[in-house]
Amino acid sequence: MKVTVYSTPTCPYCVMAKNYLSEKNIPYEDIDVSADPAKAREMIQKSGQRGVPVIDIDGNIIVGFNRTRIDELINQ
Amino acid sequence: MNRTECDVLILGGGPAGLTSAIYAARSMLNTVVVDQNVVGGQVASTYQVANYPGTNGIIRGIDLVNNMKKQAVDFGAQINDMQDIKQIDLSGEIKKLETAKADYYARSVIIATGSVPRKLNVEGEERFTGKGVHYCATCDGAFYYDANVIVVGGGDAAVEEAVFLTRYAKKVFVVHRRDHFSATKSAQEELFKNPSVEVLFNTEVKAINGSDFVTGVKLFDNKNNRTYEMDIDGIFIYIGMQPQSSLFRGQIEIDDYGYIITDENLQTSVKGVFAAGDVRKKEIRQITTAVGDGTVAAIMAGRYIAGLKPEPGKFV
Repeated sequence: MKVTVYSTPTCPYCVMAKNYLSEKNIPYEDIDVSADPAKAREMIQKSGQRGVPVIDIDGNIIVGFNRTRIDELINQ
Repeated sequence: MNRTECDVLILGGGPAGLTSAIYAARSMLNTVVVDQNVVGGQVASTYQVANYPGTNGIIRGIDLVNNMKKQAVDFGAQINDMQDIKQIDLSGEIKKLETAKADYYARSVIIATGSVPRKLNVEGEERFTGKGVHYCATCDGAFYYDANVIVVGGGDAAVEEAVFLTRYAKKVFVVHRRDHFSATKSAQEELFKNPSVEVLFNTEVKAINGSDFVTGVKLFDNKNNRTYEMDIDGIFIYIGMQPQSSLFRGQIEIDDYGYIITDENLQTSVKGVFAAGDVRKKEIRQITTAVGDGTVAAIMAGRYIAGLKPEPGKFV
C-alpha cells in the first residue's frame, strides 16, 4: 500500500491525519505543499480542489481528514 | 447495537466539553464525550492562541486541546469522536442518544456542540468550496502564494486571519459590509500597519465567479450603491458563527438565532440538561469563557445527579 499525505505545516487537520496514520502503523510520504509548488499543482490535479489534507491511498483520493474513508481503504 | 450507560453525557469535544469531562471524570462520575468530528472544536484549527492564561502566549490551538483531551482521558473520561449522531431524547429521567454505532443512556447531558462558520449564502459559494472558497486560512492559505485573496468579515477572526494570509498572498483585501471593524484594537493595529493588506469598508460580496476554480467576485459598495467585479484567486470567509443546536430543537428552549437558553447554573429548560460554551446564549464567546462554562455545567450536573439518588438498574 502506498500512502501520500499532501499537507501544510500550519493545518491542524493535516496533523491529525498524520497522527492517525502513525497510530495505525501505516507508513506514508508527507508532502508539504506550501514548500513545493509542483507538488501543490499535482495535489490540485488529483483532487480537483485546494483544501488540505489530501490523502492518496493507492490512487484513491480522500479530501480532508475523513477517518471512516481512511479505515475503509487501509482495511481492504 | 452497542449500549453505553453513563452519569454525564457530554456532546461536543471543544474546550467547553473537554473541561466538563475533566471535572466530571475527576469527581468519579462515569463520563462520556461524543463528538461528530474529531475532538478539539474551533480551537483545533486556530493557528496560535495568545490569550489563554497559564500558557506562554504562543501555544498552538491543536496543542491546547490535545492537552485538555489527555487530561480528560487521564481522569477516566471516555471520548468517542467521529460519531454519526442520529437523534436524542431529553424528555425522560434517563436521556437517550442514538448514534450509528451505539445507544447512550445518561443521567445528565451537557450540550457543548459549539458553532460552525456561518456561510455567506451567495451564488458560487457552495460550488467553489475548496476551489477558491475557504473557511480555514491556517489550512489552505498556503495555496495562495503570490496570489490575490479576499477575506470577508470584520471580527477578530477575519482581521487576524487576514494578517496570517499575508505570509503567502501578494495582496489581501479585507471586505467588510460596515464602516469599521469589531475586532480588538491590537488586532486592527496589526492589520492596518501591514503593507500587503487593503481594507474595503462598506462593501459586500454578492457573488463568486469562476470555472473550475474561483476567478473573481461581484462586490457591492453599499455607500455609493455601486456594483463591480474584481478578479481574485481565493476568498476566505470569517463572518461569524452558527450555533449547532438543531438536534435539540423542540426539546429545550432555543432563541431566534439558535443559541440555547440557560439559567445562571447553565441548566437548560429541561432538568438535568446543561449547555456550555459557544452554543449557549451569552454575550462573550472566548476559549476562557467556554472553559468556565464547562466547569459550572459539570459541577451542577454532578449536584443534579447527587440529588437524583438513582438506584442501580434503573436504566432503560
